[in-house]
Amino acid sequence: MEALVHNLKLSWHSIKRAPLPYALTLLILSLGLGTFFSNATLYYWMNRDPIPEKSQTLFMVRMNSVPGDCTDCFEPPRVMSYMDMQKMSGSGITSAEAAMYSSNAYAKTVENQQATPSQVELRVTQRDFFKLFNVPFLHGETWPDNNARMEVVISKNTATKFFSRTDVVGQDMLIDDQLYKVIGVLDEWSMLPRLYDVNGSRSAEPTEDIYLPLETAYDLAIQSNTQNSFFDVDWDGDMATYPQMARTNFVNQLQFWVQLDSPEKVQQYQQYLKNLVQDEKAAGRHTRPEGNKLDNILNVQKALRATNDQLDAFALVASLFLLVCVVNASHLSLNRYMANQYEFSLRRALGASRWQLQSQIMADVLLSSVLAFVAALVFAQLGLWTINSLLPGTRALASWDWQMLSVMALFVVLISYLVTLYPALKTSFSPLNQQLKQ
Amino acid sequence: MSVFLIIKSLLRRKVVTALLLLQLAVTLGLVVNSLLLASAAKELVDQPTGLSLEQILTVWVKPTSKTLRLQPALTDLISRQLTAVRQIPGVEAADFVNQIPLRQGGSNWNIFERDRQDESNVDSVPYYYTSEQIFQVLGVQLITGRLLTQQDWGIDNILLTEKLAKQLFAEQNPIGKVTNNGTVVGVVSDFYSQRYASHPFYGQIVFGPLHRAEQGYQLIVRVAQGQSEAVRKQLTDVIRNAEPQMDIGTVLRMDENRDDVFRSEIGLATLLSVLSGLMLLVAMISAYSHAHFHALQMQKEVGIKRALGASKARVLLDVLSESWLTTAIGAGFGILVCYGLNISLAKVISIPAVPVWLPLLTMLLLLLCVTLATWYPARIATRISPATATKTL
Amino acid sequence: MIQINNLSKIFRTDLIETHALRQINLQVNEGEFAALTGPSGSGKSTLLNVLGTLESFDQGDYLLDGRSVKGLSDRELSALRNEKIGFIFQGFNLIKDFSLYDNIELPLRYRGFSSAERKRRVEQSLETVGLAARRDYHPSQLSGGQQQRVAIARAIAGEPRILLADEPTGNLDSLMARQVMELLEKINQQGCTILMVTHDPDQARRANRHIQIVDGQLNDSSMYEPLAAGA
Ligand SMILES: Nc1ncnc2c1ncn2[C@@H]1O[C@H](COP(=O)(O)OP(=O)(O)OP(=O)(O)O)[C@@H](O)[C@H]1O
Ligand SMILES: [Mg+2]
Repeated sequence: MEALVHNLKLSWHSIKRAPLPYALTLLILSLGLGTFFSNATLYYWMNRDPIPEKSQTLFMVRMNSVPGDCTDCFEPPRVMSYMDMQKMSGSGITSAEAAMYSSNAYAKTVENQQATPSQVELRVTQRDFFKLFNVPFLHGETWPDNNARMEVVISKNTATKFFSRTDVVGQDMLIDDQLYKVIGVLDEWSMLPRLYDVNGSRSAEPTEDIYLPLETAYDLAIQSNTQNSFFDVDWDGDMATYPQMARTNFVNQLQFWVQLDSPEKVQQYQQYLKNLVQDEKAAGRHTRPEGNKLDNILNVQKALRATNDQLDAFALVASLFLLVCVVNASHLSLNRYMANQYEFSLRRALGASRWQLQSQIMADVLLSSVLAFVAALVFAQLGLWTINSLLPGTRALASWDWQMLSVMALFVVLISYLVTLYPALKTSFSPLNQQLKQ
Repeated sequence: MSVFLIIKSLLRRKVVTALLLLQLAVTLGLVVNSLLLASAAKELVDQPTGLSLEQILTVWVKPTSKTLRLQPALTDLISRQLTAVRQIPGVEAADFVNQIPLRQGGSNWNIFERDRQDESNVDSVPYYYTSEQIFQVLGVQLITGRLLTQQDWGIDNILLTEKLAKQLFAEQNPIGKVTNNGTVVGVVSDFYSQRYASHPFYGQIVFGPLHRAEQGYQLIVRVAQGQSEAVRKQLTDVIRNAEPQMDIGTVLRMDENRDDVFRSEIGLATLLSVLSGLMLLVAMISAYSHAHFHALQMQKEVGIKRALGASKARVLLDVLSESWLTTAIGAGFGILVCYGLNISLAKVISIPAVPVWLPLLTMLLLLLCVTLATWYPARIATRISPATATKTL
Repeated sequence: MIQINNLSKIFRTDLIETHALRQINLQVNEGEFAALTGPSGSGKSTLLNVLGTLESFDQGDYLLDGRSVKGLSDRELSALRNEKIGFIFQGFNLIKDFSLYDNIELPLRYRGFSSAERKRRVEQSLETVGLAARRDYHPSQLSGGQQQRVAIARAIAGEPRILLADEPTGNLDSLMARQVMELLEKINQQGCTILMVTHDPDQARRANRHIQIVDGQLNDSSMYEPLAAGA
């Protein structure tokens, strides 16, 4: 302990003797680390598994059922029609399944009818949504079935915002001038990345405010605000006919998720889809080639080409930049050690063992690590701030938890050690006489 | 000093030299590719859109009451809003449209010629529900056939952009052809419609009322040259006065919409430019502190050389030419790195190939930076009196 | 060869002024081997540096080969040093990244000799100091005496008119010192003027002239003697 303090003191003195070179070395190192950390932070949040306890069992289904005879169209559309959804549901193979899309609306409470309504984000979905993604309820529960009903589940924040309390089960709400009853309030919940809906590169957005039954949404002609593709639809625009039209045409807006608990179930479901396509083809529908997709939740960003390529490219560049900075810093630290070499040799000549010199070097590493870590965090914050303001949809990805911080700290120590290693070896192991001769 | 001698002394410091070269090489590779991406993004953003970007304002609106969002109230609401907007001084034309060109996302229809669905089908073409002033607002030209008029209101007559017409009908006359979305009556000049549609310049225009406004709609305004700021200031208030129960988005000029569409690219380009700047800075710091660290050793060397009859200028040149040579060698390796990195980046994003002149230009830039950074410590070293420098310590 | 009149040198630091040389008059003739002695801090090195134009002076005049060095530009002074003056330092002052060959060649490069000429001269001077076999060694691989001989080889390779040596044997043992002295004498016999600072009375006696300096002032023992014939 005492030796460590002594060594730290020595390190500090040698820094003080030539503060500028040391500061520059530190600056370069922490610049590289900071840039790398800010990128790694985003990368981590974008690519982590948001639901590790069951990610292996969650799959998004797509089917190439849109009309047309195109023989080389193998890629199914990102969203499916109501008809597709109906055919896929009720297979008996899944342990949970739900179709969904996002929309938005204006909401207010019944008590406060005169207030200007505020905009809310909607998730139009089915009963199993909450089970699929382990969404915790604070009060109440999900719908008993998938039928249309004027009942909604709301997030905790929404409850607090509209009612100033959370236990609001049984209360009424006006959403786009329609009266709904609140049957459930969710507990604090977020999913990052929000993999259940990555279409339109929206995987970094927060979870929705209000959850609405799918059948109700079709009845009320609430449409998706993400993607809404009409294929061969012939409709006069009469809103009265919308519910019927949207359920029987290729009005594609749905994403469909299933939970398959074992690899056998996955197989079975794949077979189920195959059979489905064959039946359809036999009935003269599904004219495009078969293109069933059962994408695991962890692959869904790639499957929908919703990965943030800019971030990937930046990751590559940031890593190389780190390399440049590390190389640079070790070059500078080599210079620094060389400048002190005479002193080192003298101390060795005076009887300091190599081990003693090594522990001196370790004290150097420790000191540099602490300083570099702090500086790197500052630069990383700056970097995150810059990236957030430049690249859309990255704002939610900019926070650190303790785990990340400790990994970063470890990384800094490792890098500082690397940067100091060669110079240290060189100064403490090269032949004595050669150095003293100069 | 001779190149040979410099190389010899570099070889004696193998590790230091290798580190230096590696760093220079990677720096060059990164800077070149960053510049390349930045210029590609700029090209993308600056590509012709077929629209007078500075003279078009757009604003997204949505009635906050359900009844106003449905017919017949909606048509009446829109005409009240348009009448008010058209009276603002500086406004040349204004219209509503379900979605605006250039904006990311939106609604598409597939389109095909009735008799040739399989051969002619185009999957994703943005459609524009709008009315008569849209042509003046967008500033598009009639290529063939006729423009839509009041008589086409609510009838399935459509206009296509030139590129779409070419795709659907090749060399045939498109006028009178029947598609799943209606009969083609005219073709207008291309404009940038939607980035991720089947082709960015595909578009179809129909005249007719919006069925409803659940997703809101856009008001799009053509202003006289230089009037966009003046009009922008009043627009929100004018729309609100026409109907208070309105959610009104930000008024955007068309070039701002464009920048939004290319935000990722612009963002990455800016980020990489910043990073390039940092890298050059790091290279400069490194050159500077290298020279600085070596000042003592260098001073002695400089002193000896001066005693042997080298002038100050000569010594300065010696020091500089050492760093020039290392930079040049490093940059030489850098050219390899630069092509390698280009290939790896091309796997992730679209990036143009490296033109030959760019690495050379960057190398000059690097040389300049290194020269600047070496100059100062070298100057100081030459100022030390050789008598002091050669003194035995 | 060397002619200085009333030359003074003052070192000014923040606190004090040191009068390192006071009103010195000195003449050194072609072919002389002059020894410069004096107590430590008396100004020997300073005088040598002024003579070698490494240091400027404050008053008086200095004529080298009949030409005043006052007012010469850095470039002209450098050329003058390069052509006419050879230095030998107590600390050898070889460039450690260079081989012996490169060290000796360096001033010849400044002179602008062709590479064949440089080669000839380097080899010849290495021969003179007896280190021809080690031309590719680096300074750190040599003993002190050998290093000093390399320094001498470097100083004479350009065939200077005058050699200025500041305690050339100060760091050497007596055997090495004698070798170096013999070398210098040989060089002197070939016609090169030598001015050497030394603390060794024996060495001073071996020179054909003995100049003493005390507290920045000369006490030239040969001043009142007639000049050596043929000088
Ligand atoms: N660069 C300098 N700045 C200030 N004072 C100096 C400087 N160089 C020499 N001096 C002073 O000038 C005086 C003469 O110094 P010089 O080095 O010529 O002595 P010296 O006779 O060579 O001594 P020694 O035998 O110890 O080498 C000394 O008092 C010294 O302190
Ligand atoms: Mg001295």
